[in-house]
Amino acid sequence: MLRRDGDPTGDPAQLPPPGDPGRWPWLQHLRRRPQLELAPWLTALEEGSVPAETDLLTVLAERVDSSSAPRLLAWWLQQDPPDPTLGERIGRWREASCAELLRQALMRAPQQAPLLLPLLGHQRDPADAALLSRLALAPGAAALRRAALEGLAVGLSSWPLPALRRTLTQLAADLDPQLAADAVDLLARLPQARALLLGLAAERLDPAVAARRQRRLHALPPSPLLLLVHGRSGGLIPDDLLALRDTLEQRRGASVRLLALTAAKGSPHAPLPPRPEGPEGATLVPLFLVPGGHVRHDLPAIADHWRQAGPLRRLPFLGAWRSWQQALTQEVQELARGAAAPPLLLHHPLDGALGQRYLQHLSRITGAGCRPASYSAPDPQELQLAIRSPVLALALAANRLTDSLPLELGPPLLQRPRLQRVLLEQLAALP
Amino acid sequence: MATLNKVEQAKASFCGLDLAPRLGELSAAGWESLDEATLTIHLKWLGIFFRPVTPGRFMLRLRLPNGVLNADQLDVLAEAIDRCGSHGSADITTRQNIQLRGLLLEDMPPLMAALERVGLTSRQSGHDNPRNVTGNPLAGIDPEEFIDTRPLVDRIQAAVLGPEGPRNLPRKFNVAVGGAPDSFLLHNDLAFLPAFNDGTLGFTVMVGGFFSAQRNELAIPLGLWLPADQLPAFTLAVLRHYERQGDRSNRNKTRLMYLIDAVGLDTYRAEVVESYGAVAGAAAALALVPHDGTHLVCRAPRDICGVHAQKQPGLHWVGLHVPMGRLHADSMTDLARLARTYGSGGLRLSESQNALIADVPSDRLEALLAEPLLRHFRVDPGPLAAEAVSCTGNRYCSFALIPTKSTAQAVVEELERRLEVPHGVRTHWTGCPNACGQPYMGAIGLMGAKARKDGAMVEAVKVFLGGSMAADPRLAELHDKGIPLSELPEALEQILVERFGARPRALPA
Ligand code: HEM
Ligand code: SF4
Repeated sequence: MLRRDGDPTGDPAQLPPPGDPGRWPWLQHLRRRPQLELAPWLTALEEGSVPAETDLLTVLAERVDSSSAPRLLAWWLQQDPPDPTLGERIGRWREASCAELLRQALMRAPQQAPLLLPLLGHQRDPADAALLSRLALAPGAAALRRAALEGLAVGLSSWPLPALRRTLTQLAADLDPQLAADAVDLLARLPQARALLLGLAAERLDPAVAARRQRRLHALPPSPLLLLVHGRSGGLIPDDLLALRDTLEQRRGASVRLLALTAAKGSPHAPLPPRPEGPEGATLVPLFLVPGGHVRHDLPAIADHWRQAGPLRRLPFLGAWRSWQQALTQEVQELARGAAAPPLLLHHPLDGALGQRYLQHLSRITGAGCRPASYSAPDPQELQLAIRSPVLALALAANRLTDSLPLELGPPLLQRPRLQRVLLEQLAALP
Repeated sequence: MATLNKVEQAKASFCGLDLAPRLGELSAAGWESLDEATLTIHLKWLGIFFRPVTPGRFMLRLRLPNGVLNADQLDVLAEAIDRCGSHGSADITTRQNIQLRGLLLEDMPPLMAALERVGLTSRQSGHDNPRNVTGNPLAGIDPEEFIDTRPLVDRIQAAVLGPEGPRNLPRKFNVAVGGAPDSFLLHNDLAFLPAFNDGTLGFTVMVGGFFSAQRNELAIPLGLWLPADQLPAFTLAVLRHYERQGDRSNRNKTRLMYLIDAVGLDTYRAEVVESYGAVAGAAAALALVPHDGTHLVCRAPRDICGVHAQKQPGLHWVGLHVPMGRLHADSMTDLARLARTYGSGGLRLSESQNALIADVPSDRLEALLAEPLLRHFRVDPGPLAAEAVSCTGNRYCSFALIPTKSTAQAVVEELERRLEVPHGVRTHWTGCPNACGQPYMGAIGLMGAKARKDGAMVEAVKVFLGGSMAADPRLAELHDKGIPLSELPEALEQILVERFGARPRALPA
């Protein structure tokens, strides 16, 4: 390499002092050297023979490697107090040993935490999630808590999700409006952001934070829902389902359409909706309770048809949702209390192994027996049977079977508060 | 054979554009999976900048061809930085562009999708790429324009980002198209300036302009004229030639002018013509006309601020001064709303880092001018504020020798309190000799420096004077090599009075 006067030798002793007009070009040269031996510089810093100026540290920090980075960081952490401006530059290197140095420094000098926590988060080691969460949540100095939250922010996708969701949800209602605002913004970046934001109790939020939540929600439009229901003959849709649609539409602020299988021939295949906004397109929700012919044959055909209108997300049929099964189980358990015989689930007759397996599963988890009953021509025999056991007809809304059941055997599922609530919550929370 | 430097090695290993489909996966996995070169080099092919000063908070630089954008697009950008809370901000750049700050890597995949939905891209906006293509900020609404530069700039961008475009230039590359008498563009590597040939309006080609810490050049005539429809293919030809021939050993001596120097202008021209033949066909190359480089640009760029009649009768553009080009989420949302409410939703950005709202009918002007936002983004900024241009400065840039933006703003405000200045004076502020703030183009250029005062080293500026973007363009020259910041207002006051006809204001009684 050519050596002109003033050419940097890479020798710390040659570095022009701060303020010297030669310093800037000298450092730019140093920065561009193909090879840069860091050891002499680290030694000079450690000995204090070279002043620790931002410009020099910027150049050095750009050139560190996995062996020099921890040494540089250790040097910086030993300063009393460490200069924040330098820390931002030095703390960028990610390395297990650097994370460990930061943890030790936090133990040694907790008063430095506001400076160290964002750097620790930047290391993105899942092991630090708990510490960052705890410090963000614990009552304490605002600067400390905000630094912990910034640590969570810069490492966002590294932290275990359930705990992160809890922390952020809690922080969203914090009395420090800046913390709360940042928490809302971070929730908006997590998977199922809409559901998380919708799950925040708006009335507990600071007004500015609530407005921020609204802005985030606005930019996360929920997908339009297509609710596939069985319907009654002639395509008639029971009132319970119409009410469900209206409530949902209001809660989601997005369109909800009911598609009735039984409507005029081919109806679920009929007019396609306008191409949905959002990248994810519409969501098809099959509100069927058992995996019968509708689920196995009609559903795929209908989904294919609607895909012509744009991207379509197809959910499993309702009977397969764990939340729904849990709610059914609770409902059955309540019915069983004080009953002479175990409750019965009346279902539309099902053929095929899939249907039988499903019914066995349902019977096992709910503790109820399953019994087929013709929905179109209910058999009075069944009713006799039913009167001795409590009965739950697997029908969301009124159909011929529920019509034929004596009133005291109870209403269709959507008229039962628990099941109605669970279904609404689940559907409202869909992204 | 020249050996590749470290950056070239990284660029040769794979193209940053290949990261696009993996972006979701990379950000979900956490970016510890990204090595240093990917993080600091390759991601810039997607417009994503790792910021060493704010580790974990990234910058995204867009492309806004000709500085054109609309309210819906601005809303998407505002939302992106609103999510970043106190970390979020945006800058209007000196290339009529916007960059967003404070973003998490996790923000990038959804943001890229949102940009695409509203017709924006951030592709190849950083590092060794053809940067945002600029044009007349008033294109299409300008009563004085010779030609509407928007469709030309759009087509150049499409060509540059298309399958034939360069992916691995030796260095960055600036392209611009002039369309009006004030389209000063000689600071670009490649500038097309409106020019007549035999009574036909087309463009003369200027090449080699750039500023750096080592060298500053205005573009020189290549000696070729071409009709408007050949601009995209010709740009490709120049870029592909540069991609093949540019020097890759020393990044300090790589901008286009060094290549022109190395081969000589005549050889360079011949090679570019040949490259053009390869891109557009030999017949097209024959149609390139030798030209003496005279062109129709004769004035320094207009101050776009204020209310001005468009060439469409009954419509106006309203130019707003955005102090130092700095935007925040709320002001962006508001700006979008004003453009939608009072105009057609169309907005433009200027190289002087200001914004205008287009297509405001006469009967909407009064209501627009009464909007609260216009108290911050003024239509009648002072003659110094209107065209004060600044580089990023030291909050975000490690090499700044002074806090550039805040100093610029404070000093300009102070001078406007003290002085009456009869006409606009363009001040260009830059934090260090890297000259990102284009100090050599200012009537007054200011560059961060250190100087000795009372035995101590203090923050200071070098002052450059005499820059002109008018008919006889000149770069500013060094006037003072170190005025301490504390003495700057007085020193500039004196310069403005002596050289720019400023008068001290009568002090309020
Ligand atoms: C358009 C004429 C049809 C009518 C009026 C009708 C009637 C009904 C009714 C009232 C139900 C109970 C509501 C429900 O559980 O969702 C039902 C469910 C069912 N239907 Fe139909 N059905 C029709 C077509 C069919 C066909 C063609 C099949 C056989 C392939 C079939 C098989 C089933 C099954 C397996 C269920 C249980 C659905 C579930 O809840 O998951 N249905 N049908
Ligand atoms: S001129 Fe210097 S201080 Fe300003 S942005 Fe460029 S490198 Fe940074």
